[in-house]
Amino acid sequence: MRLEVDIAHKAFTNAAGKRHDVLAGLNFALGHGEVGVLVGPSGCGKSTLLKILAGLDHDYEGRVSRPADARIGMVFEEPRLLPWRSVEDNVRIAAPLVDDPKLSALFAVLELDAHRSHFPGELSLGLARRVALARAFAVEPDFLILDEPLASLDDALAARLRDQIATLVDRRSVTTLLVTHDVNDAARLGDRVFLLSPGPARILAEVSIPTPRHARGGAEIAAIKADISRRIDGHRWERDAL
Amino acid sequence: MLRLLSFAVFLATWWIAALFAGGDTLPSPPVVLAAIVTEARSGALLLNLGATLARVALSFTLAMTLGSAIGYLMGRVRLADRLGDPWLILLLNLPALVVIVLAYIWAGLTEAAAIAAIAVNKLPTAVVTLREGTRALDAELDEMARVFAIPPWKAFRHIILPQLAPFIAAAARSGLSLVWKIVLVAELLGRPNGVGFEIGVAFQLFDIPRLLAYSLTFAAVVLAIETVLVQPFEARLSRWRPRAA
Repeated sequence: MRLEVDIAHKAFTNAAGKRHDVLAGLNFALGHGEVGVLVGPSGCGKSTLLKILAGLDHDYEGRVSRPADARIGMVFEEPRLLPWRSVEDNVRIAAPLVDDPKLSALFAVLELDAHRSHFPGELSLGLARRVALARAFAVEPDFLILDEPLASLDDALAARLRDQIATLVDRRSVTTLLVTHDVNDAARLGDRVFLLSPGPARILAEVSIPTPRHARGGAEIAAIKADISRRIDGHRWERDAL
Repeated sequence: MLRLLSFAVFLATWWIAALFAGGDTLPSPPVVLAAIVTEARSGALLLNLGATLARVALSFTLAMTLGSAIGYLMGRVRLADRLGDPWLILLLNLPALVVIVLAYIWAGLTEAAAIAAIAVNKLPTAVVTLREGTRALDAELDEMARVFAIPPWKAFRHIILPQLAPFIAAAARSGLSLVWKIVLVAELLGRPNGVGFEIGVAFQLFDIPRLLAYSLTFAAVVLAIETVLVQPFEARLSRWRPRAA
């Protein structure tokens, strides 16, 4: 699936009736199977953009083009699981068509096998995130949206989950948009990395990463990270905002 | 075990009080038990209890169904909330007796009037509780359902209903205790049978053993239904919640 985004304007009106621009002149495109990573400081309107792309918000000026029947899989910043249903039910309710071998394969990659019958209340944040990932992949999405899927996990766990996401994305070659404030996510997972300005968000720079995900070694990832960080510094972001 | 002990204390207190007050004012437990047996043997006890329970079941179901639907609508649709709110406040503050008397005057001393009057008394509390429950629905789960294109009926069943369940249970519980009380008043005023009617008759004849016989049997039935039906139902609803340590 190809995604083209051209949002001229998105504003919120606050309680006092004052308009507040969130997105202005934001445009980019992703080819089929490409992973785009949006890196930006918190509060720059990333979540608003994702809501628009997910079809939850239609109140904006501009155009988002993707097939109307595109199946969307999304991982929200909070896992958003149904606390009253088991891990497996959570996946099956969102993805009624998933068959057993596919589900097992998914659970195997995400190391969820032992937790199938657990309830979300019994899971750590890292596990709950993986369930949310399983749910998003189980619908066999044409378009995958990942909103800070690794935020507030410890480094080792985040690294492992990054590898799992890379495996799953490559297996399906699904057009993916990942939003993060962590350069590690961008360097490990992105084909193209877009640097966003603080709000109202627009794209400051674009970095293409030609090396395929599975071929990226530690040294290369470090080099990509350094490159992205340098560009961020070039735009005089406050590094603390990241 | 503790419940039995509590019951024994109740019986003992009653017995001692009966000794002091004299049998005419407060009959002792054996006298009341004898009255219960007499009423049971004649079949009147079962018949009256049955009539009362049937009225409770009907009006309770009616009020819960209608109240839940209206409450959900008022929680979801702003216009419905603004239109319904004055009515709700009126109904909430209208004394049960007024509703019952008016129903009997307008619809005659009929079964339908009694059941409708009881239901109308219970309706507003169900509406209020369900409206609160609907307002408290998790918007984030709603969004999740929309992104994953979960069909509306499925989302209602798996996402909305489980969130409303504790509110439905609370409305059922408070509603049931309200209906237990009001049904007797409605029967006393305008039905030819039922526990309320019998209590009215006993009152007119000053037949205290019979009065207590009906009251206590009725209380026992209420207690049994609470223990056997309502509490397990609530426990089942909250099965998925992690137990508090």
